[in-house]
Amino acid sequence: MLDLKLEDIDGILVRYNVALEKEMTPDEAAEELYPKDELIYPIAKSIYEGEEDDVVDGLKAAIAAGKNPIDLINDALMVGMGVVSQLYDDGIIFLPNVMMSADAMLNGIEFCKTQTTEVPEPKGKVVCHVAEGDVHDIGKNIVAALLRAAGYDVVDLGRDVPVDEVIETVVKEKPMLLTGTALMTTTMYAFKEINDKLLEKGIKMPFACGGGAVNQDFVSQYDLGVYGEEASDAVKIADFINANGTEIEKLREEFHKH
Amino acid sequence: MVQKYTSMAYAKADDMLFGNAKFPVKAGLGLEIGAGYATPELNYAPRPQAGKSKDKLVKEYERITTDAMARMVQIGAPSVVLETEHVEQMSNNPDWGAAVAHAQKTIMEEYHDEYGIKCALRHTIGDIREDRDYLQLRGDKYNTFMEAFEQCAQNGADLLSVESMGGKEVFDYSILRNDTAGILFGIGVLGSMDMEMVWSDIAAIAKKNGVVAAGDTDCAQANTAMFIAGGLLDKNLAHTIAIVARAISAARSLCAYEAGATGPGKDCGYENTIIKSISGVPIAQEGKTSTCAHSDLMGNLTMQCCDLWSNESVEYHGEFGGTTVQCWVESLAYDCSMMNTSLKLGKAKDLRDILALSDKYRDPQGYVLAYDNAYRVGEAIAKDGSDNYLRAKNAAVECCNIVEEGIASGKLRLTRFETNALAKVKADLEALTDDSNKFMSDCLTRFKEEVAVFRPENYGL
Repeated sequence: MLDLKLEDIDGILVRYNVALEKEMTPDEAAEELYPKDELIYPIAKSIYEGEEDDVVDGLKAAIAAGKNPIDLINDALMVGMGVVSQLYDDGIIFLPNVMMSADAMLNGIEFCKTQTTEVPEPKGKVVCHVAEGDVHDIGKNIVAALLRAAGYDVVDLGRDVPVDEVIETVVKEKPMLLTGTALMTTTMYAFKEINDKLLEKGIKMPFACGGGAVNQDFVSQYDLGVYGEEASDAVKIADFINANGTEIEKLREEFHKH
Repeated sequence: MVQKYTSMAYAKADDMLFGNAKFPVKAGLGLEIGAGYATPELNYAPRPQAGKSKDKLVKEYERITTDAMARMVQIGAPSVVLETEHVEQMSNNPDWGAAVAHAQKTIMEEYHDEYGIKCALRHTIGDIREDRDYLQLRGDKYNTFMEAFEQCAQNGADLLSVESMGGKEVFDYSILRNDTAGILFGIGVLGSMDMEMVWSDIAAIAKKNGVVAAGDTDCAQANTAMFIAGGLLDKNLAHTIAIVARAISAARSLCAYEAGATGPGKDCGYENTIIKSISGVPIAQEGKTSTCAHSDLMGNLTMQCCDLWSNESVEYHGEFGGTTVQCWVESLAYDCSMMNTSLKLGKAKDLRDILALSDKYRDPQGYVLAYDNAYRVGEAIAKDGSDNYLRAKNAAVECCNIVEEGIASGKLRLTRFETNALAKVKADLEALTDDSNKFMSDCLTRFKEEVAVFRPENYGL
């Protein structure tokens, strides 16, 4: 096989990610972000490390020291997950780390719930689904995990969800946001049907859509559509709604990048 | 009858070349794939609203077929393959798929009769074997699934393919958690077991109907990893993990040919160069001409040993230069013209190397799939070819070795994140047993507990 000389490669391609990699390791960056409270620190660190058992051990110690289990959700678990989210947004850690941290955090929340009769207050409710006829759900699973990790209550309808079931759930659950994902061009047409049926019922709410074949042009064709290019956009859209309201035009200005 | 590969089809990597397969395949109307020339393979998707009824769908595919065939004769292309990847309606209702195949083939026959253009129709049946909550690989839908192959074969499809989904439930869970054993179990063990069953049946249908059992792709798993890994700056999955998943997928997708398929393998099977090195079957590939569907980091490299050159998929609609199918099939045809010219001039190996080298050092995925390294992965698979688990593990280990050598050479430059991820995968692999039964038993116990949607009965377990 012919080959290139080492010195010739840079003229053909550039590894921008190597050139721009940050000096600080992910562990060092996380260390700078952990809360200093000696009861909270080990919980936040265990969230970052995705160690479910250690999270529960940390929670037990904090509760034994007098911390309120419900307060620990916001003050320890969400703070730890906040460290993870920030490192992910900054490009320091990758998605599998976030998923493992999310698993650990959700496990921690369930543990906290068993320690009290109080009910934690979510940041809002989001209904997630994969379009009717479409069984490709890894994208939706990422969306749901990231939303839960960010403190949202997720009603996960799963995959291949009939249009009417989506409408019924929205009517019943009254979410702040509906998300839909699809891989195929023919299944994503269901999004338009959902849009039309919601409007028929007088429901005007953001409907965030994304996935393989879905693009901004298609989503812009129906009134409630907001295009999410990345799974992590779902959290940003939900946060944006909490801060700025549900006006579709504003959401499109923020999230329609093309 | 499944007959496992335990040796290589080619004596050395340098013997592999585009447009040439050790075992060419005759298909359709005068076409021979891998018999000394490369052929464009166009893939397309109907517009969203076309799936509303059978009539609308058939008409959409008639438009697509006519547009593509017309453009091929307008530019003087000698051959073309059209690939119809079923939308779910066409596989869930086999008569829909059959109607589309019949309509397309009728048009292709007219063009073949009038102009002599060599052509064939591939139908890729959708893997519909699941319900809302679970894979249902051996359940009620299996009969419908096979009926879809049968009816397409009877109504004009020359090449039968599928992107089978076995193992995906464990893989999806594992890839998002850097779980090496789960990736290996999902693709290399469960995926292989399912493929052996599915492809034995597809091969029988193809034989009965005088058509070609073409091949599969690990789209559901290795392409998911590649897609999540994304570009150089994306932060969703280490590319070193994505290429390990890809190497494992070669051991898995090879099962189609062991169960009676003869090629050409599916375009999005980026593992196909490895498979060609072991089996000698012709392969379809996609790269720079599939940017209409997705981005990858090896747009030229994948052309290195292809027999069909594909665009992956494009939605049918208008562009300045015609409809999308016309624009993309024309691009494919000119690439094939370039490859075929180099073959006639005796310069094909130089072109192959230029294509490979232009991407080889861009990313670990291209580095391992460059034909010289792909051949080494092939050897690792063939070494323990009779054992689905061991050969998949061998492929993963050899993949790690190849990337490490690339880093050591200074030519393959990776971030610390990627080298750390590679070190973790390699350590995980080294810690795994060489005993297939023990691995199966350990994984069954673990994933039954961890993956709520994993149903061992899908695999006869």
